[in-house]
Amino acid sequence: MEFKGYQRENSGYGIRNHVLVMCSVNCASGVVQAIKRALPEVVPVINNYGCGSGGNDAAVMIRTLAGIANNPNVAAVLVIGLGCEGLGAERLADSIKGKPVECLLIQRDGGSATTTKRGIEIGRHFLSLARVQKRVPVPITELVVGLECGGSDALSGITANPAVGAAADLFIKEGATTILAETTEMIGTTHILKRRAATPEIGEQVEELVNNQEERVRQALGERAGMVIAPGNIEGGLSSITEKSLGCIEKGGTTPINEVVGYAHRPAKRGLVIMDTPGYDIDSMAGLAAGGAHAILFTTGRGTPAGFPAVPVVKICSNSTTFNNMPGDIDINAGTIIDADKSIEQVGQEIYELTIRVANGELTCAEKNLSIPFNYLKQGPTF
Amino acid sequence: MKNNALRINPTDNVVIALRSLKKGDTVILENEKSFEMMEDIQAGHKIALENTAAGEKVYRYGEPIVEATRTINRGEWVHVHNTRPIPGDITA
Repeated sequence: MEFKGYQRENSGYGIRNHVLVMCSVNCASGVVQAIKRALPEVVPVINNYGCGSGGNDAAVMIRTLAGIANNPNVAAVLVIGLGCEGLGAERLADSIKGKPVECLLIQRDGGSATTTKRGIEIGRHFLSLARVQKRVPVPITELVVGLECGGSDALSGITANPAVGAAADLFIKEGATTILAETTEMIGTTHILKRRAATPEIGEQVEELVNNQEERVRQALGERAGMVIAPGNIEGGLSSITEKSLGCIEKGGTTPINEVVGYAHRPAKRGLVIMDTPGYDIDSMAGLAAGGAHAILFTTGRGTPAGFPAVPVVKICSNSTTFNNMPGDIDINAGTIIDADKSIEQVGQEIYELTIRVANGELTCAEKNLSIPFNYLKQGPTF
Repeated sequence: MKNNALRINPTDNVVIALRSLKKGDTVILENEKSFEMMEDIQAGHKIALENTAAGEKVYRYGEPIVEATRTINRGEWVHVHNTRPIPGDITA
């Protein structure tokens, strides 16, 4: 199986050819927005922080922003900095490899108006470079697909998540890579995930990852740790945290876990990989995008329009009611497993085939809607 | 014949009600009549596919999710009233 992608110098192949305009600190975001207004084709990435963070947060911040800029879907990057911020714009630009990169600093380069003018010129040049690049045939083994769920309902674990799991198995069978995320939603399944690890060492990494998360939840919530299974979950028919989490990890399919990576780290192995991300969808997708995911399969029950900058997000809905209530937000209705007697495997095949078409250039609902919220994991205080 | 329940994994001993069912309704699984409901159940909830003794595990997704606290018969609703989390789980 092949798809047609854009070749990058040293980071594989992209399924999109986006020009990113990214600010290293929120103080510089006005210039990014002004460039976006002048050049609607560029993809803005507004960093909400960039200054006043502790060491851990700063490390995650630069890894995530650089990871997204280095995502193979990105053709070129313009970094806009202020000049005095903690996260140096030039340091960020230097960590972007194998593609055209420019960096402007508002304090150094003549203020907002002049920086915007120069930014538009650079952006226009980058867009002209991206426009002439042609897609080339790429083996599907190069493809990395992130797995995400958000706004889940009682049917998510019955229709949409198992169908995504069936699609994930098809990708792995073809030699591609899938990344299962959201550690919070793996609580209670340590023993099951450990058994599915490809080696005992990976099994121990999975165990440590989920147990640490469980411990953090116990510390943060104390006696209310049981709240990770909400009253609404129980009303919906879920009897234990294990049952709830199993519904989440269904998205990973049935293949062995080949690697465990930290937040926003790029996997070294192919096959099924677990990434340590929070349950909050936008932060989790940032980790996946920075880890090199070309596309994200995102299941929802209640419905959410959220996509992500530079990474096509395929929405799979658990039920027909939400699908019909939010026309134009959902790509695939897995509710057909309930009301059209489709099998989980049939819908899995539909998801797989759509994802290949998306890899070849078909736009997802979130892309058409320009729904690209941006945020990432931040755990410490701001100073 | 329209399915009104779904067995997610072939080794599961429960099936999931795809719509709310009443006592006496016939459970239709994989397009075939299967068994009768012994009580009312809401959509999304679990129905026992097999008789399960106290202490035996309930399987969904092919994995144990809870254990029965009393005998649960085929066609009964399976939930927090007749099961408990497997020891070691975070509990609500």
